[in-house]
This record gives sequence, structure tokens and C-alpha cells, in this order.
Amino acid sequence: MNARRALYFDGRSSRAHAVEAAIDGGELALHGDGVARREPLSALRITARLGRTPRTIAFADGAQLVLDDADDLDAAFASADRVQSWVDRIERRWRSVALAPAISVATGVLLLQFGVPWGAERIARRMPATVEAGLGRSVLDQLDRWAFEPSTLPQARRDALAQRFADLLEPGEDASVRIAFRHAPKIGANAFALPGGTIVFTDQLVALVGDEREFLAVAAHELGHERHRHTLRQALQGSAVAVLAALFAGDVSSAGSVVVAVPTFLLDGHYSRAFESEADEAAFATLVAHGISPRWFATIMRKLEAEASDTTELPYLSSHPPTAGRIARAERLADGFEAALPAQHAAVH
Amino acid sequence: MNATVIDDGVGPAPAVGQAVPRTTDHRFEFSGDAREYFRIWIVNLALGIVTLGIYSAWAKVRTQRYFYANTRVAGAPFDYQAQPLAILKGRLIALVLFGGYALAGQFDVRVQLALALLIALLAPWLVVRGAAFRARYSAWRGINFRFVPDYKQAYIRYLALYLFVPFTLGLLYPFVKAKQKAFLVEQHRYGGVPFRFTATPGDFYPSYLAAFACGFIWSMLLSFVMVGAIGRHVSVDGTPPPMLVYGFPLLMYAGYFVIFAFLNASISNLVYNAVRLDNHRLHSTLRGSKLLWIYASNTLAILASIGMLIPWAMIRLARYRAECLTLLQAGDLDAFVATAQTDVDATGAEMDSVFDIDIGL
Repeated sequence: MNARRALYFDGRSSRAHAVEAAIDGGELALHGDGVARREPLSALRITARLGRTPRTIAFADGAQLVLDDADDLDAAFASADRVQSWVDRIERRWRSVALAPAISVATGVLLLQFGVPWGAERIARRMPATVEAGLGRSVLDQLDRWAFEPSTLPQARRDALAQRFADLLEPGEDASVRIAFRHAPKIGANAFALPGGTIVFTDQLVALVGDEREFLAVAAHELGHERHRHTLRQALQGSAVAVLAALFAGDVSSAGSVVVAVPTFLLDGHYSRAFESEADEAAFATLVAHGISPRWFATIMRKLEAEASDTTELPYLSSHPPTAGRIARAERLADGFEAALPAQHAAVH
Repeated sequence: MNATVIDDGVGPAPAVGQAVPRTTDHRFEFSGDAREYFRIWIVNLALGIVTLGIYSAWAKVRTQRYFYANTRVAGAPFDYQAQPLAILKGRLIALVLFGGYALAGQFDVRVQLALALLIALLAPWLVVRGAAFRARYSAWRGINFRFVPDYKQAYIRYLALYLFVPFTLGLLYPFVKAKQKAFLVEQHRYGGVPFRFTATPGDFYPSYLAAFACGFIWSMLLSFVMVGAIGRHVSVDGTPPPMLVYGFPLLMYAGYFVIFAFLNASISNLVYNAVRLDNHRLHSTLRGSKLLWIYASNTLAILASIGMLIPWAMIRLARYRAECLTLLQAGDLDAFVATAQTDVDATGAEMDSVFDIDIGL
């Protein structure tokens, strides 16, 4: 290294010494402005390279030498930060800089599309049953306090529906899955699959039901949510996104919270649509296995849709995939199902 | 020194700094470059995502170092010395807490409320820990800054005083802000010398009262226009046209944005101009109109470029803020002496950034 001008601070006072610095035989030599100092390079630390910013060489006694960046400095100081030296090389290559946006977007999409759901599914599967049941009780407790009233349906009606519902369950499943009815004027026709196996139907939903098989179609859909632990997974995914957003908001920009709030919201809808489709498919399989046409799913969906457009209250369909597509899918499956068993289901129409 | 070739006096002008003349004004200079910072920023972002956020601690250090090192006053740059691993540790603790908070919100509002209350109770402590961390690892001319913790005053000024604000219809708010700024300035040390703060709470009132008044008038004005417009344009089914539904809040926020820029400029000037260190002082000349132009054009540029102009926007704002700041030297800048320093944990500093608690000077 040739002699170059630098600022020397002794680490004890704020006085700046304008010195000449040179590397000579494994030593750093300073000279000028009342300073004469030699130190072996092995006793010194140098800050990582960063753009054209000045480098600081730190002496063991707290003194510092600030000098303009030069690429020969890294060669002299073997003890440089390996991670940051590598990052610095990436930053200086226009090719890797050009790749960075694509890598960011691709990794981000993969992470959010597959990574977060995969992780949430694994955690949900390992969640102890008692914790899950506790979470479910807590949610029901709050809904009972703020939104629900005791069901006003006759006990006989509730028992009959519960009995029909029990037929849908796999052997042994009746120990983990329970159903409950609630009067919910503030919410309207709706059903909820809570963590831990409780499925809540509102009286308003039961009132919409004509044939009991319509009730079973909704029940099979909610059962799909239960079997796949959708509520728990949705909560875990939402939290993971919130944590990622909090982590990157400050780094992306100072107005980060607004920048990430909208995508976070959209992502929530994206995740819940995937779960609804999965629950739909599970429901169709359950219905067909029990000799019930998926068309009942289409008919109750139409009623729910009509109900939702009449009211501004929390609609059953808000977070769901486009209803028309779901109804079309149910009817396509129903056509196939009924073609195999024409006589039994002629009455539906 | 036998083999070293050194020739005093001859050669190019000092590369890093000049000898400092006595008793003079030193403008802050910012030499960051948008194209150069873009490279650092985009590589930080990509590595941060690829490493699932672990690299973000290194990214933070490189970003901070870039802005510190490119800011100079009196010939010497600032220096950010925090270590990535310390930041990573603090960040992980903060994220685990934040994850618990987010998860609790999905199941039990009461647990989340309890956690939110806990965070609010911790806020003054976080203010102190965050300031202490930043000061400890900020240096100029080889001497570190220091923030002397005073938890009692922090709890008074960042928690207790807020409790009285509602009872005064908000009129106590500028007083509280003044007390907080004074606290932040006066607890800082440079080379063992405490900073002093000469502004009084009364100095904060004109700016805040003007901002309150403008905000109030703007809201009233818009409400009148809105009521009039709805009266004339309501469609048959009783819903107002979408232009009103979306246009109204947009205009509302645009108004607040303008007020915020002017308030920010005048309070920043007030605070900087009131800072004393020995007999040295700062002089700040931010203009609300210029700040508003930078905020507004930055926002539009960021939106139009889907974020790619964020580095350019950050550099631009930092340059303007530095350009408007001058160090008025009175006496000797060379006489500050180092004091003993102990390490400061990063958890507090990371908590306030993860939970988005705004401190700012």
C-alpha cells in the first residue's frame, strides 16, 4: 500500500490528526500531525467494505484510523469479515444486482405460497390436542359473549340434526368432533369449524335449510375444515405473515407498515380460499361416500348467496372463493354422481 | 520507520478530512449515492428473503453504516459500530414476542389486549434501551455517544403524562412532546459531556396549535362538502357514488399528509436549534414545503416503481435533511474525551422497530 492521507483518532480525545498511513512489512505505519505509530497488521481490525464509504481501522487500544476505501486494503487485512466481503463482491457485480429482484420475488412467492402453509401444517399436526381444545373453547367463549345467544331451535330438531351429522363421521371420530347450535342475529346464516373439533351452526343457517341433506352438505364442508385443522393453520399462517411483515417492513422502507399491510391482507384471503376449496373437495367426497348428491351443496350455496346479498351483515361467503365456481363444481360432480344412481336423486330438482 | 516513504505536505488534498479551523460553521454533508445504495439495498433484500430473515441483521448494519459513513460534519464521518450478531439476537427475541402477540390475536382478544397493555407498559423502558443501544454504537471522531438511562423520567414522560392528555382535550400533548424531546436530548452524552436542550414546552405550542387548527378546519370543510355532495348525488338505492366513498378519505389523508410535513419540519427545526453541546450548537433550516414535496414525490415514485425507487427516496430524504443542518462550532471540537463504555443489549432497540413504536428525535 502506498502512503495515503488518513484521519487518525487516538480514541481518548476527539482531536483529528491528519496523518500519512502506509503498510510496510506487515505493519501499519502512521506519521505526521504529532503522530508516529507502528502496529502489526495482525493486531488491527478493519471494517467491511461498503460502497465507497470510508474504512475504519481499529487499534487494540481504541484508536482509529479512517481512510478512503481502496480495494488493496482487503488484501492486507486477512481478518476481514468473510460474510460481508462476500456480500460486497455481490453488490459490486451488476449481474448479481440485476438478478436480485428476480430472486427476491421468486423466493418470496415460494416462501408464502408453499413454505408458510407447509410449516403451519406441520405445527398444527404436532399441536397437543389439549392446546387445540383450549383454543377452541376460548374462541367459542368469546363468540358466546359478543355474538351468540343460546339456540332457540327445538331440542328435538337439534337432536335430529346431530344424529344425521353423526352418520357422516368416521369410526372413532365422534370422540373429537362435536356440534353446537347458536342463535346469532348479528351474524346471520353461518357455520364455524373451531379448533379442537367443535362445529357451530347458527339457527339462521338451520332456518335456511329445506332438505336435511342441505344441512349435511354444509356440515360435510365444516367437517373438512376440522379434519384438515384449517382454523388453526389459518391462524398460524396469518401470524407467520405478520411476523415476516414486521421483520421486513423496517428494512424495505420507513413507511413499511402501510406498504406491507395491503399484501398481508390479500394473502390472508388467498390462504383462506385455498382452505375453502380443500374443504369443498372433502365435503363432496364425504357426501358421495354417504350416498348424498353434491347437488345439495349447490342448492344450499345458492340460498346462502341470496341471503348474503339481502343483508350487509357478515356474509358466510365473504372470504370464500367465487361462489359461482363452487356451485358449478358441485353440480358437475352431482351430474356424474346422479348418472350412476339416477332414480334415487330425481326428487332433488 | 526506515523503509516507509512518507512525504509531508506534498501530494493530493486530504482524502478523508481537512484540518479543522477554529470557531466556524460546519454544514453537514451527505455523500450517499442512489445508484450505489440501490445495489446494497436490493442485495440486502434478496439475501434477507433467501435466508428467511436471518440476514436482515447484517442488512440493517450495512444500511446504517452506509447512511452514517456518508454523513460528515467538520471533516469527519459518523460511524455505526453495532455488530450483526447482537442485532440478530435482539431481533429473534422481539420476533418471538411479536409472533405470540399475533397468534394470541387469532384466538383470544383478551390475551392480545393483555399483551398490548404489557407492551404499552414496557414502551418507556424500550425507548431508553433503544436510545442507549443506538448511542453506544454511534461514534464521531473516534468517540462514542452515550445515552444515560433514567427509567423514572422515561416512565413519567412516555407513559404517566399521556394519561392526562385526554382530560385537557389534547392541549397537554405539545407539552408531553416537548418533555420527551428534552429527555432524549439531555440524556445523551458525547465524550462525557451532556447535551443540553434550550427549548421550553411553550416553544412547541405554536406549531402544534397551528397543526391542530388546520386539521380541524380541513376536516370540517370536507365534511360540509361531503354532506352537500351526498345530498345531490345519492343514487336511487340510497348509496353514495363510489367516487365520494373513496375520494373523501383520500382527500382527508392528503390534508393530514400536508399538515404532517409542515409540522415535522417546524418541530425538527425547533428541536435541532435547541441542542447545545458545550457552547456548540446545531442550526436546522428544514422547509415544510420542500419536505412535503420530497415526501409526496417519494411516495409516488415508490408506488410507480413497485418499490424499486425506495433506495433513491431514502437517499434523497437523507441528503435534504443533512443539507439543512449546520454545526455552529464555538470553541474547541477537539477537546471531547472518551469515557468508559459497557456493551448494550439490542433487544430493546429491536423491539421498538418490530412493534413499530415510533421514537425518533
